[in-house]
Amino acid sequence: MPEGAEQDKAILIREYITMKARILVVDDDEALAEMIGIVLRNDGFEPVFCADGAQALDVFRSSRPDLVLLDLMLPGVDGIEVCRQVRAESDVPIVMLTAKSDTSDVVRGLESGADDYVPKPFKPAELVARVRARLRPGDQKAPETLRIADITIDVAGHTVSRGNERISLTPLEFDLLVALARKPWQVFTRELLLEQVWGYRHAADTRLVNVHVQRLRSKIEQDPEAPEVVLTVRGVGYKAGA
Amino acid sequence: MVSAIKQGPEPAAQDGAPVAGAPAPAGGSAGDGNANGPSPAPEDAGAASLRRLTFRAHLWRRRALIVSLRVARLVRTGFRRFLPALRFIARTLHRRWRRSLQFRTVLTTLLLAVTSFAVVGAYLSNQIANNLFQERLTQAESETSYHVKQVQDTFDGAQVTDQSSVITLVYDTLNAVEGRGSVIQRRYVFEAMPEQTKPRNRWVESRASDQLTVSVIPPELRKAVQESGRDQYWASTVIPVGTEDRPGIAVGNKVDFNGTVYELYLIYDLNTAQQTLDEIQSVLWAGGAVLVLLIGAVAWYVTRNVVSPVSHAAMVSEKLAAGQLQERMVVRGEDEVARLGASFNHMAASLQEQITQLATLSQMQQRFVSDVSHELRTPLTTVRMAAEVLYDARHEFDPINRRSAELLYNQVERFQSLLSDLLEISRFDAGVAVLDAEAEDILQVVAHAIEGAAPVAAEYGSGIILRAPEGAIIVEMDARRIDRILRNLILNAVEHGEGKPVTVTVAASQTAVGVAVRDHGIGMAPSEAARVFDRFWRADPARARTTGGSGLGLSIAMEDTKLHNGWLQAWGKKGSGANFRLTLPLRQGEEIDKSPVQLEPEDITMPGEPGNSNMLVLGTGGAFPGPESAAKEKT
Repeated sequence: MPEGAEQDKAILIREYITMKARILVVDDDEALAEMIGIVLRNDGFEPVFCADGAQALDVFRSSRPDLVLLDLMLPGVDGIEVCRQVRAESDVPIVMLTAKSDTSDVVRGLESGADDYVPKPFKPAELVARVRARLRPGDQKAPETLRIADITIDVAGHTVSRGNERISLTPLEFDLLVALARKPWQVFTRELLLEQVWGYRHAADTRLVNVHVQRLRSKIEQDPEAPEVVLTVRGVGYKAGA
Repeated sequence: MVSAIKQGPEPAAQDGAPVAGAPAPAGGSAGDGNANGPSPAPEDAGAASLRRLTFRAHLWRRRALIVSLRVARLVRTGFRRFLPALRFIARTLHRRWRRSLQFRTVLTTLLLAVTSFAVVGAYLSNQIANNLFQERLTQAESETSYHVKQVQDTFDGAQVTDQSSVITLVYDTLNAVEGRGSVIQRRYVFEAMPEQTKPRNRWVESRASDQLTVSVIPPELRKAVQESGRDQYWASTVIPVGTEDRPGIAVGNKVDFNGTVYELYLIYDLNTAQQTLDEIQSVLWAGGAVLVLLIGAVAWYVTRNVVSPVSHAAMVSEKLAAGQLQERMVVRGEDEVARLGASFNHMAASLQEQITQLATLSQMQQRFVSDVSHELRTPLTTVRMAAEVLYDARHEFDPINRRSAELLYNQVERFQSLLSDLLEISRFDAGVAVLDAEAEDILQVVAHAIEGAAPVAAEYGSGIILRAPEGAIIVEMDARRIDRILRNLILNAVEHGEGKPVTVTVAASQTAVGVAVRDHGIGMAPSEAARVFDRFWRADPARARTTGGSGLGLSIAMEDTKLHNGWLQAWGKKGSGANFRLTLPLRQGEEIDKSPVQLEPEDITMPGEPGNSNMLVLGTGGAFPGPESAAKEKT
């Protein structure tokens, strides 16, 4: 990637921060919520709190946050249900806070629509890094049309279609598809995708990639069991279909 | 056609027996029974009957040859055409024989029944034939002596006057022997004895019943009669009656008439006896067949009664084993079979109860671990974040508070790693750890682990050397767990390596991949190598806990390895460092037979004490490498 673009991105991130991104923290543990608030405020974000899953959607609608930090286990309506509700009406990035690191719990959270997750106990820096990564604006969207298999991607218009049929994707899924489509000749390792799509410099859980690829396939493939758009390269990673 | 011809030789054999001169159907025993009587069987073979015999034998041999050739050809073509079907039938029967107790029992019963009936039937029919013959023989002998006496008396009292009256007398006398009525009771052959002076008035030379000549009398009998005084002899023979040959008994004696000695043979027809015997035999056959079928049916019914509950039980237990725990046997009545069913059901019920209980326990344990995890982690996160905020601001504190903030930060860190290790171990103990295996390049994982350990290694001043083949080694594995194992081994080696370089060797075979992590530090004794995978175990309790590990790292590594069906083994020698070897199957579900890397390093050659190497092989459960491979590696 050229130097200039990197710098542009850095400037944009700073702009976002100065805009005081609003972050909705949904967590029933008051001490933790307060501590997260301290850390976020310290880094120039504006936290909004909600301690109850049942009210989370109302608070979300009224506060219109730029990002949601969501505890997986909540009294009343649990985090996964909240995640589904939010996802149903918004593409806002959702980062799960989870005390469970069992694969099934993580996968369940990601499948309900979360973009990322942070396992407890996390470091403040880790949390902030994840939040920033998700708030990072997408690349400058030049008018560009990409194709993989029978899928057409309008990058600027943020739309994906097969023939005349439009396919609705979350921003993260869209970014994942675009990253693969831009370099159809390249095989992406999971680590590379984590870096390019999620923006992680350090290795995170590659299950993130697996789950999101599955989710993407369920939306864009005609037969997710025999994928044609996103292909698995055994032992390496993924690549775009011909 | 086949069956018709096949039966051909059998009558021949039946005919042959009496012709051969051996005393008819039951001649042997009859002869024995008569041994004390005055009639030993004749011994010489008559030339005429021998010729007839050889001619017929020759004829039948030719016929049999032709028939057997035809049959062979027919069988061959039929065999070729029906071979697949025959094979199929044979296979089916063989499979049923192996798999069905009922089939086997019924078939065995049938075979045994047929064999015993054949033996009993043969014995019975032999006995009956003997008795029939014996009875007829006794009758024939008494009748003969009576009639011979009658004839002799008639001859003695006769007035020998002229030729015609003599001939009339002789013929009438002999015809009277044949019996009154329309049925001929006995036949006769009347023949002047040869080689005697012929008186002038001998008008009768020989005389026989209708269709008979002297040739039907066996020469042995004739010889016996001729050579004896006035004794009575008998022999079996064949007589022509109408168009058929019938078995018969010839009883002979001598009579005098008019100065001439005549041989008088009375021949008794055994046809009625033979018919009776045939009837009895056919009754025996039919009865035997019916009885065998009945026995087969009974065996089938009885075994079905016993076997069907057993096969039902087998079916039910298969279903139980497949996880259908609610499956039960049908119990009817109070007999042994019902008891079997009842106790089977009892067993199934207690099995179901225990399994349900275990499943509940496991679920509870799992939920407990999960709950503890959540409950502990949430406050720990707050504490950790607070500690970090304080730690980041430590420059603004006075020295005492600064040190406190540093201690708090470090110990929270340690507490956290201990907690996560404990939770990991408890997850293994609860059996909820699952392998999330995917085919990935292990070299990348190794490189990643080395990269992760590099900062710590730099701190200790020891380099990490990687010896690995070019390209990629694709292994079906849970990369997260393998990364954790390798990171643990490498950090362990760095920690105990005393600043000397740590070597990581990777090698693969057709079935397995091996990663060895070797340090040249203080090393360990074999007794210590045996315990490194124990929880919370430390080589030297007095030694400072420099890295602050939880003491669970190698235990978790061992659990992770077991999950992969791999081996994790340790070798150590005091002063020569240690070597840890991880061996994984390339594909899950395969067994490792030999690790591609050596456990005992080649670079430790201690002159003078080759046998003192402290090698220890720690197997992981069922994947223990066994003494052969261990010995191989020891060389």
